[in-house]
Amino acid sequence: MAPNSGLQRFFTLRYVVFLVFVVLAGRLFYVQIIDDKYKDLATSNIMRPEVEFPMRGEVLDRYGEYLVRSRVCYDVMVIARNIPKTGFDTLRLAEILDITPERLERQLKRAKQAPRAPFLITGYLSQEAKLVFDEGEFDGFFTRFRTAREYPRKVGGNLLGYVSEVTEEQVRKWEYYSSGDYIGVGGVESAYETMLRGEKGVSYRIYDTHGAAMGPYKDGDMDILPVKGLQLTSTIDGRLQEFTEELMEGKVGAAVAIEPSTGEILVMVSSPTYNPDLMVGRQRNNNYAQMLHDQRNPQFNRAVKAKYPPGSTFKLVQGLIGLQEGVLRPTDMHPCHGGYSYGRRKMKCHDHRSPIDLRDAVATSCNAYFCYVFKDIITNPKFENIAEGVKTWNDYVYSFGFGRKLDSDFTGEGKGYVPTPEFYDRTYNGRWNWGSVISCAIGQGEMGCTPLQMANLAAIVANRGYYYIPHIIKHIEGRDSIDRRFYERQYTMVDSVHFVPIVEGMWRGVNVWGTSGGARLEGWDVCGKTGTAQNPNGRDHSTFLSFAPKDNPKIAVSVYVEHGGFGASVALPIASLIEELYLTDTIRRPELVERVKNYPINYYHYDKKQREYDLRRAKQSAK
Amino acid sequence: MVNDYNLSSRGGNTSLFGRLDMTAVGLYIALVIVGFVCITAASFEEESLNYLSFSHNYMKQLMWIGISSVVALVILLLDRRLFHMFAYPAYIAGLCLLIACLLFGREVNGAKAWFEFGGVRIQPVEFAKIATALMMARVMSSYSFNIKRLPDLMKVAGVILLPLAIIVLQNDTGSGLVLCSFLFVLFREGITKYIYFPALFTVFLFIVSFIFSPEAIFSFLLVVFTMFSAVKTGAIEAHLRFLAGVVLASIFLAVATPLSGYASLMIVTGIAAVALGAVALKARALMLLWPILMFVYAMLFVPTCDFLFEKLEPHQQNRILTFVGMKSDPMGIDYNVNQSQIAIGSGGLFGKGFMEGTQIKYDYVPEKHTDFIFCTVGEEWGFLGAIVVISLYMALILRLMRMGERIKEPFGRVYCYCVASIILFHVWVNVGMTIGLMPVMGIPLPLMSYGGSSLVAFTMLIMIAIRLDASTDDGDTLYNI
Repeated sequence: MAPNSGLQRFFTLRYVVFLVFVVLAGRLFYVQIIDDKYKDLATSNIMRPEVEFPMRGEVLDRYGEYLVRSRVCYDVMVIARNIPKTGFDTLRLAEILDITPERLERQLKRAKQAPRAPFLITGYLSQEAKLVFDEGEFDGFFTRFRTAREYPRKVGGNLLGYVSEVTEEQVRKWEYYSSGDYIGVGGVESAYETMLRGEKGVSYRIYDTHGAAMGPYKDGDMDILPVKGLQLTSTIDGRLQEFTEELMEGKVGAAVAIEPSTGEILVMVSSPTYNPDLMVGRQRNNNYAQMLHDQRNPQFNRAVKAKYPPGSTFKLVQGLIGLQEGVLRPTDMHPCHGGYSYGRRKMKCHDHRSPIDLRDAVATSCNAYFCYVFKDIITNPKFENIAEGVKTWNDYVYSFGFGRKLDSDFTGEGKGYVPTPEFYDRTYNGRWNWGSVISCAIGQGEMGCTPLQMANLAAIVANRGYYYIPHIIKHIEGRDSIDRRFYERQYTMVDSVHFVPIVEGMWRGVNVWGTSGGARLEGWDVCGKTGTAQNPNGRDHSTFLSFAPKDNPKIAVSVYVEHGGFGASVALPIASLIEELYLTDTIRRPELVERVKNYPINYYHYDKKQREYDLRRAKQSAK
Repeated sequence: MVNDYNLSSRGGNTSLFGRLDMTAVGLYIALVIVGFVCITAASFEEESLNYLSFSHNYMKQLMWIGISSVVALVILLLDRRLFHMFAYPAYIAGLCLLIACLLFGREVNGAKAWFEFGGVRIQPVEFAKIATALMMARVMSSYSFNIKRLPDLMKVAGVILLPLAIIVLQNDTGSGLVLCSFLFVLFREGITKYIYFPALFTVFLFIVSFIFSPEAIFSFLLVVFTMFSAVKTGAIEAHLRFLAGVVLASIFLAVATPLSGYASLMIVTGIAAVALGAVALKARALMLLWPILMFVYAMLFVPTCDFLFEKLEPHQQNRILTFVGMKSDPMGIDYNVNQSQIAIGSGGLFGKGFMEGTQIKYDYVPEKHTDFIFCTVGEEWGFLGAIVVISLYMALILRLMRMGERIKEPFGRVYCYCVASIILFHVWVNVGMTIGLMPVMGIPLPLMSYGGSSLVAFTMLIMIAIRLDASTDDGDTLYNI
């Protein structure tokens, strides 16, 4: 070995040491200076954004009384890994949260599957219970501010809709929502969701690795406060709504009242309805399930979705079209001897004097008269064939808002149905004549209308030829107006003058001689038209269409009661009582109220369905 | 070229403390202080009622610093010949301690490497390192010791491997590997460089065996070695024929017999290697023997490696697998390394400032005051602080090496190199681990990590080196006792 070889090795080893230094320094340089991701990771480590839920907007009735209110409540959350290992008083916590200890244990077990993630133990903790909970100092548990809906009048289940947690699908579809958020479902809640929900806020907080909050991040400078949802004023008359719901109880059907001069919906009842409070709180799921099993389907908003045959109320439309088309003059007399015969068939009519003119035909609701009118409309020689006649008739009917959506501010509005020549071509294989379609003359057959469309018809007649699109919200907090379409008159294809005899007939039917005599209100010039719609499921549907007063009408009502019998038997008194309360502010006929409430209707067709359904369920659960 | 390099320059001061290497002492003190500051930052609790209570880690560390000062003073006052004298007893005592620990010790984090006396935990490994370093120095400085001779090399190997075996049995593999850093010393003492090639080859095989299948490794080595041999001998065509023969034979075996492809390749290459070896020996073609030997070594090593890996604890397997990138598990084993890199990486150039490190303060870095103390440096003092700290270490290591060179007797030189290599290994593994260069091993950062055993042991290690160095000009030598 050369004498200096030891020294040379010393120098070599110095290079090794230097190399170690360079490698470490190089890596440090990369991690600390070049690569930026660690700074973000460090921030996201300690900082967690926390959603601050806004107060949902309220809904007032037309007089400023609360229909829906938001009340403060709290979700109780847990982060499983922060629960002390020594355990805690589960019995006491269960008692405070008002849940069974078994349920608490079950929830905790589920929470432990993702021990770092916040898990919802239970919702709807009242403010008082929250104070007790806070005193308990349960480590790992915390509360989250929420609001729950509250319904002072407990009315308008289907009308107002409810608030529910967003579904996975909705989270995917809309950026705004994330899992656990609430969203309006049905009715006003869903139609005005974007206004009612407000804006979520966010607060950034520092957490240590054990999940304990260590205070606001950057002194809360980056936080965004939640913005409360907008307050809506609805067109609904809360008291009238409640009264109508009482009258409709036990009946299946719908009642809609509109202010003709504005298109504002005063009352919208779908029966059976439900107490909207049932859709709030911990029992929500149970209540919801129970409703799902109800074969009368209380969740189905019949007022805007059902397709009912309009029955005789539709004769108004036929008369108006006839007048406009020039195939009918108000003074035209038609005979009626217990009905209208065509071919070997006969459309029956009830007993009344004959022949009669248009006014009396409206007042007495003569079937035969309007069969003549309808036949005259569609077989008008100016048309090349009947299809063209029906087509023209279709256009008129559409202009009255039938067979299409009215474009109201209500989601889920149904279209109803108006049969078209194409429909008849399909049904009769192209071989049909006026006799095939004659049942449309009296609103039977394939005709289907929503109660809203029928109420709108009442408003059209009241206005003598036009309507405003019906709507349920008349004012939005912080805005001067609602959508402009609600301020525009929608004219029908029938001129105003032609409405005079029709209105006259409706007035006579109530006030002089006819089927609607029971709707008479002293001093209010009520106009009305009954309807009795045949249907394959049982007894006739009872319907009544009315407005009052005759001049400068204030209210237009349509009531439809399934299997209620004659129009005059149940639909008419309900409509009349709605008008009475709205116009006179009092009820002078308490005996009529009692009669309506106790009016016996046998829904054997629904009951049968329910029995069969229950049986099926029992069988399934037995399996 | 280096003849005029004056290693023994020193001032004219002749008192003991005047002759101490003040640079090394200064570096030692600086690192202890930096360590204390970092431990304080990492374990300070704002809500604490009594900041000076000894329940705080930084106060405990302060106590250990006091104890270490006393230990340092005592060592500096001892006669340097004592270290030479006590090398054997210390080594034997160290071995006994390790064995006792293996039998009666306390298990912490899976390693049975601790003694516990009334709440104070002691890790004998730390002291065994000192004993082994002294023993190395004693053996390698003995008269007529020549590292180039096999018996002497075996003696050194024995000194290293004996404690290493016990430490591995304690399941404290990380600490055991520290002793492997003595290869650094052996290089300085002139060990043949042929030992480094197999060593590097072994490390290469070790890492590669986790990433590739054995078939792939053998095929690769077969081709490389055949090429090597072909180039060396010039008989390219013969080697190609050999290669083709092996491949065809393997394929034939794999297709014609129920043997798997792996087994076929092993059998064919094994037979080929033995046959070739015989031919090479007969022809005295020693150049050919090398690749054949290495190939056979690989054939034995890779399966052994897999076998040994199976024997490792699951957490050790995970550490290795995550390090070679075969496995990713951010919430599990990766968590520590990820969090430590996040802490250091978020420090930036200047750091967040004393006690302002969010990742440290909010407990995101695990073991933040012990093994991961360097995260505090990186996060709170940034790149500049980290560079200063590793510079201090490098300066200390280089100083120790230089002190070794300047000591006239081999005993002091070997000892200083041992200390330097231990510190180098610790710094490399520990800092490397915090920034993702090394797998996680439970190895503290010398002088900085919280812990009494570690601080006292490193104080002893360094102070003995300083004491030996201070004797250089005493005039007497170790050999004329």
